[in-house]
Amino acid sequence: MATSDIPQAQDRKMEPRGKETLEREGTRPGWVFRPDVDIVEMPEEYLVTADLPGVGEDDVQIQLEKGVLTIDALPSVRPDSAWHPVHGEYRVGAYRREFAMSEAIDAEAITARVQDGVLEIRLPKTRRHQPRRIEIARG
Amino acid sequence: MAFQESARARWEEPWETLERLRREMQTRFGPPAWLSAANVYPPINLYDTTDSLVLMAELPGVRHQDLDVSVQGSQVVLRGQRSIEYPEGASAHRRERQAGAFHRSVELPYVVDAEKVEASYQNGVLVLRLPKPGERQRRQIQVRTS
Repeated sequence: MATSDIPQAQDRKMEPRGKETLEREGTRPGWVFRPDVDIVEMPEEYLVTADLPGVGEDDVQIQLEKGVLTIDALPSVRPDSAWHPVHGEYRVGAYRREFAMSEAIDAEAITARVQDGVLEIRLPKTRRHQPRRIEIARG
Repeated sequence: MAFQESARARWEEPWETLERLRREMQTRFGPPAWLSAANVYPPINLYDTTDSLVLMAELPGVRHQDLDVSVQGSQVVLRGQRSIEYPEGASAHRRERQAGAFHRSVELPYVVDAEKVEASYQNGVLVLRLPKPGERQRRQIQVRTS
């Protein structure tokens, strides 16, 4: 698949990066992390992709309200509480992220899927906001 | 009365010291203190389940076929890659996700019987159960008092 504006980094070595913590919310126990997200725009839709390791399809909630897209997730693949931690490099907790979406989105047509711990949300633009080809009359 | 008797090898002691330190730190400074900063991808966690060590690694977006796990002697090697592709005509508003190759080896305190390792990969999380050799397993010994 060809790409244009997006720089590719396929041959790069992956670097470790700690999870970023969000402000802890008083009403919810445990950690809340800010997942890494890509947002790309295509002529007819936006594609929001979030890294949510441990999260399956039933573990995520997506909401679009007043132009704000909210992702909430709690991983179901997690260590057994009876296991004794002996070495730790990452923490396990909930994920949350919010985005103000600039253009009008057809909320009814939003689709999402989760694969290998990656959430992919497709947000089609309303027809009014899609590019229209203008025919130029020949004189 | 019951007590835990373990055929304890020297390797367990540093971990126990760390664990004790972790608990102290947690009490004083809050939970993040037990995390050690890893300088390699992917970050891993290790758990002791008495008869095994369990290694967990978060590898979101790595496809099953792009993940290679091998065990040789006391070494576990994780390697693979993740690629991120978007269709032609896409423009990026935000790019935070990483792509690339990774290779990490983890030295365990015992030789692993590769035949007995159980591996699962679900929702982008690798879980490896690495059974300890028999003599390393803790035995629960019941002591009767009359």
